[in-house]
Amino acid sequence: MLSFLTPARRGSGLGMAMPALLLLLAFFVIPVAALLSRSVTEPVPGLQNYETLLGSATYLRIFFNTFLVSGLVTLITALIAFPVAWALAIMPPRMAGVIFAVILLSMWTNLLARTYAWMVLLQQTGLVNRMLMATGIIDQPIQLTNNLVGVTIGMVYIMLPFMILPLYGVIKKIDPAILQAAALCGATKSQALRRVLLPLATPGIASGALMVFVMSLGYFVTPSLLGGTANMMLAELIVQQVQSLLNWGMGGAAAFILLVVTLALYALQLRLFEGKAR
Amino acid sequence: MLMNFDKLGAWRWILSGICALMALFLLLPILFIVALSFGNSRWLIFPPPGWTLKWYGDLFADPRWLQAAFTSAKIAAIVMVLSVAIGLLASLALVRGRFRGRAVLRGFFLTPMVLPVVIIAVALYAAFLRLGLNGTLVGFVIAHLIVALPFAIITISGALETFDPAIEDAAILCGANPWEARFRVTLPAISHGLFSAAIFSFLISWDEVVLAIFMASPTLQTLPVKVWTTLRQDLTPVIAAASTLLVLLTVVLMIAAALIRKGKSR
Repeated sequence: MLSFLTPARRGSGLGMAMPALLLLLAFFVIPVAALLSRSVTEPVPGLQNYETLLGSATYLRIFFNTFLVSGLVTLITALIAFPVAWALAIMPPRMAGVIFAVILLSMWTNLLARTYAWMVLLQQTGLVNRMLMATGIIDQPIQLTNNLVGVTIGMVYIMLPFMILPLYGVIKKIDPAILQAAALCGATKSQALRRVLLPLATPGIASGALMVFVMSLGYFVTPSLLGGTANMMLAELIVQQVQSLLNWGMGGAAAFILLVVTLALYALQLRLFEGKAR
Repeated sequence: MLMNFDKLGAWRWILSGICALMALFLLLPILFIVALSFGNSRWLIFPPPGWTLKWYGDLFADPRWLQAAFTSAKIAAIVMVLSVAIGLLASLALVRGRFRGRAVLRGFFLTPMVLPVVIIAVALYAAFLRLGLNGTLVGFVIAHLIVALPFAIITISGALETFDPAIEDAAILCGANPWEARFRVTLPAISHGLFSAAIFSFLISWDEVVLAIFMASPTLQTLPVKVWTTLRQDLTPVIAAASTLLVLLTVVLMIAAALIRKGKSR
């Protein structure tokens, strides 16, 4: 009612945004821009860093590893998350509350602690190998760490909540009457699932999948602890170039490629999401 | 029928089963570390042959662990205060401001959350090498603040959006000056948002690994850096003990956050 008072009293408010704006300009925009510019200026001006990155089998293998692991992690988390999010949306609130508490606990537990657990569980003499042997699935321990299998398991563990939570939000908003209508019209359960529930949940699956895929592409900690140097991913390549080889040109070029892919997928996400809201 | 738990028939048990398995998958590794931290097997055999507090003894006997924990707490506390203060100002500008391009500015403020943290880490590392901020407390605080701020802005502006500015106007009409109205009416009304932002910011800084690896020096390191460097050498149960204490802290903070939410809904 009195909001006509506000502009005169408060000014535009832009001044209050200044601390955050200056902080991000000085310690985020300028450093990132400087890093990216080194990819075309070091060691000599030109695009040779990008030619090396995209032209050699060693580096292409790293890109392949990165996309393969991110794709697998996205697929597996989506397959687990859909039934879980669906169940969470319709189960009695008390039961759902317990499951949510577990999801949040895992999400907020220190990343290194979680990765450490998997390093111990998956080692040659670890619990997973011993259980697989006890049940007769394998006769001798299989290699589960220092390869992409370990990385995939560890990353699925970390990414699962990021798929379940957005998907839950979308499924929770679906009007149960739509599915009742499907049943009244004679649809069987599996027909209703395939032709009504899944299509209605697709925006949630797409947005969760994009988020998990993008986060996986740039992940550093879990791949380097569970994957080992022989199975490098993109983030590890950036760190290795900068920290061990002091090759800022190559590090900058790899960072630029990661940045472009990330922002492109993020823009896609925004488009899909906004298109849905309208 | 698919949206009614009681009418799912056999599917109900399949869905509940998948949910239970997923919860176990998420929970068991955490319980596993807690159990290992009390087990007496140096080689992390599970179930352990016997129980011991040796690893906690080792942890507390090594001054470097305590030093690292203290550094982490100090950095996280500073980041928490700055993140809430700067985040509050930025949120006031975004929610109450009357200038053009607020949506763009909001998107810009959230970009550090979207970008892979490894890029921010490498870029800041290069910048700090030039500025001489590597291995300093200031360097750590700035780096952690960049990634904590977006979460503070989201949380605080969310709380501000649900608060009607007319209430602030009412306080002014009753004789309060604008700053008094802001501090004594608006801030208490959004206190749950400020507390959540504080907890988030603290936890983000406390748990940050990638930025911290790049900011650390041999003499100044945070707890995650200490865990990281130890992990790269071997899988000693001392890390299980340290991890268990970290899990405990997480549980305490989660309960605190839940209580704040409860207090808000009353």
